[in-house]
Amino acid sequence: MAELTGSPGLSDSMPPIAASAQLLAVAWLRWRIFVNGAIRRQPKNKRQIAGLVFVILLRIVVWPMLALMMVGPVVGSGFLAWLAISEGRPQSLAGLLLGIALLWQFVSINGLSIAASIHSFDPASLVRFPLRFGRYFVLRSLLGLLTASTIVGSMALLAAALGIGIADASLALPALVAMAVYALMNIYLTRMIGAWMERWLANRRFREIFSMMMGLSFAAIQFMNLQRAPMRAHGARSSLFLSAMHSSGPYVYWLPPGFAAQAILLAKHPLAACGQFAALLVSTVLFAAVFAIRLRKQFLGEYLSEGVNRRGPAQAAPRVRMPALETAARSAPAAAGAVFSSTVAACMRKDWIVLRNSGTQLIGMMTPLLLVAIFSMNRGLSASLAGYFLPAAIAYTLIGVLGPLYNVFGADGRGAQLYLLAPIRLRDVVVAKNLMSLALIVGEAGMAWIIICVFSRAPIPVSAQVSTVLWTVFVVALNLAIGTLRSIQAPRYFVPGQARQPRAGTPTNRTSALLVLAVLFGSMLMQVPVAIASSYFELPWLAAWIYLPLAAAAVFAYAFVLRNVEQLILEHRDVFAEELCKA
Amino acid sequence: MTTPAIDTTALTRRFGDFTAVDQVNLCVDAGQFFGFLGPNGAGKSTTIKMLTGLLAPTSGSIRVLGEDLQARSAEIKRQIGVVPEGMALFGRLTAGEYLQFVGRMYGLDRVTTLNRTRELLEFMQLADEQKKLITDFSHGMQKKLAMAAAVIHGPKVLFLDEPFEGVDAVAAGTLKAMLQRMIARGATIFLTSHVLEIVERLCTHIAIIHRGQLVAQGALDELRTGAGRAGQAEIEAGVVPPETEKRSLEQIFLEIVGADREGNPGAVTPEQELSWLS
Repeated sequence: MAELTGSPGLSDSMPPIAASAQLLAVAWLRWRIFVNGAIRRQPKNKRQIAGLVFVILLRIVVWPMLALMMVGPVVGSGFLAWLAISEGRPQSLAGLLLGIALLWQFVSINGLSIAASIHSFDPASLVRFPLRFGRYFVLRSLLGLLTASTIVGSMALLAAALGIGIADASLALPALVAMAVYALMNIYLTRMIGAWMERWLANRRFREIFSMMMGLSFAAIQFMNLQRAPMRAHGARSSLFLSAMHSSGPYVYWLPPGFAAQAILLAKHPLAACGQFAALLVSTVLFAAVFAIRLRKQFLGEYLSEGVNRRGPAQAAPRVRMPALETAARSAPAAAGAVFSSTVAACMRKDWIVLRNSGTQLIGMMTPLLLVAIFSMNRGLSASLAGYFLPAAIAYTLIGVLGPLYNVFGADGRGAQLYLLAPIRLRDVVVAKNLMSLALIVGEAGMAWIIICVFSRAPIPVSAQVSTVLWTVFVVALNLAIGTLRSIQAPRYFVPGQARQPRAGTPTNRTSALLVLAVLFGSMLMQVPVAIASSYFELPWLAAWIYLPLAAAAVFAYAFVLRNVEQLILEHRDVFAEELCKA
Repeated sequence: MTTPAIDTTALTRRFGDFTAVDQVNLCVDAGQFFGFLGPNGAGKSTTIKMLTGLLAPTSGSIRVLGEDLQARSAEIKRQIGVVPEGMALFGRLTAGEYLQFVGRMYGLDRVTTLNRTRELLEFMQLADEQKKLITDFSHGMQKKLAMAAAVIHGPKVLFLDEPFEGVDAVAAGTLKAMLQRMIARGATIFLTSHVLEIVERLCTHIAIIHRGQLVAQGALDELRTGAGRAGQAEIEAGVVPPETEKRSLEQIFLEIVGADREGNPGAVTPEQELSWLS
């Protein structure tokens, strides 16, 4: 057995731990997690083998597409940099570097990272080991370098440096050095934003405000774009966003992209170039320092969660009361005489409480409505295209609310065990959850409908309205049927309203997300030939007659799933235990 | 006079307006097996997190092995071992890989790390599970692994947050054997547990925290006589019964933390009974 202890008191005689040993240990840890996550997943049954095959096929399709999406900006950056120097327009180099920085942040924020699709660990958990802050800072700087944002951004900068070097060989070396520092600046800018966002997003109120601001800013950009370039004015599609980019040119020279561009372009004037290079270095150090401030707090034991942020001092235990039972007792007679059984009523009430406390989700539901309103207000759009715009707008608003149908038990986590233990019909639970979702869907689609009717300059034909209703019934019922199956066969634990999910980026999540989009867009695309045929044959009710049997079939499919739901859940009890109860 | 292994002065931690740990003064001598008890939400885990540098105190000071924790956290962390509340294991590693990683992070050379990993896996009866990922381990196996990771570098102070929670008798026996070995070799152990029988059997000294405040501290016999309890007024108010002969730790614990603010013991009163349960 190993020697477990030494003499009492802190031993100063111990040799310091080599930085390389700890850095290598963390690199090894990352590698082993990657390898174990990639090759150790052994399917246990036919369903898991099928799932694994599907995931592999999905990766064969998706990864080359992602790679192509990366190649575009990289080749484009190299070409534009070459064009800027060889065509004698060096001032556009700063704009190009600003564009690369924006792309870097865009890819980073949208989470299109290689790391997101593989298993990882929380780097903040390293604070428990005997690390000095400097070493922790280096580790946090190095961890996550293999994200798509860093790869795409760095490759784009390298391509730009090569483009500059090809156009003017004397600028090759300054370009390489400046781009390297500019890449470092972007890395620390991303880290700084990420670390501070994590801090702020830990606060529920801030999350709600942030969601609202994001939604509003997105809507505002759309609104301004439409005001500047209405869709009917085909000859003048100048984007306000692009014109803002152009007009911001002079200001960019006071920002890191300008410093980097000037450091390259003024290479023939060493003193001026050094000044610009120093400014670039200072901005890099500044971002690193602001990132370090956040890390330092984390290193010293900051607590971000607001779970224990209770109001007031600790109180003596109150008299034993059972409010849940009292509520149940009060509501039981009412529930008995009501439309729903007490199980359905209780489950709906529980989900309503969760939803009511999830301000981010509610705000997220408002954003599509806002955009529908903006598009509806745009003169000419709804007047000429009202019949087509209505189903399109309904489909758009449904994107956000159909997703949850594919994982109705996810937010319950370990609580899902209760459904299996309690003497209730599992079908009632599914019905309750689907009714809750249906209420949101009807609310969302209904609001969109009202908005379009209010702002429409021409009355929407009744045939178009009826066909839209039937199409919506078809899509929702189909999603309910497939979503219920997915909820039972592939549930995934998640925390409502939380930015960093415990099981984000898993194949199950992506498969469900792809299914939602496939069903929705597939059924949207179906509208095109139907609309063409309806117009060609001058049969305004043709769409309604086509969607009617489809809607009936989808409702029948959902009813069929619902009838067998009891058996399905019992057959998948092991999945519940593994995916939800182990959360 | 020897340097205390753990020494806190007016240790306080607030979360917003809520004070989780309030002016706690703890003193644990080197070589003691120290039990830190309290009801749920009393502040035990918060205290352990502060003592191990995972959570910054709002105010007060912490000295571990005679040194200020804030000033020399890296040196102190090197000589303490922790089994935290959530165990903090990396689920996508095997047990052997995890122990090797921890050993390297604590500065052990490769050969020593491999030897200790092998010995610890055998001692904890995990040697046959080397190919399994930690995420597939049972709760008890994960506890044993967390304990192995906490001791691989030979710490002088060991902090254990509920090490016996959800652990079967066989695994508990293994863990107890490990702890007794540590104590025999001069380590200090700071343990929180709700299993009072184990605490009573293992610990030489005990502190009780209630609503964030330390309400008792001392050797078990001192607590039996009421000498180690904070606030003589509480004793006079009737919290402590006159008979002080060999009462169990559970009885002492319930007397102290089961009492309400008026000093009444925390038994269920008739109006609180759940009549519908019969």
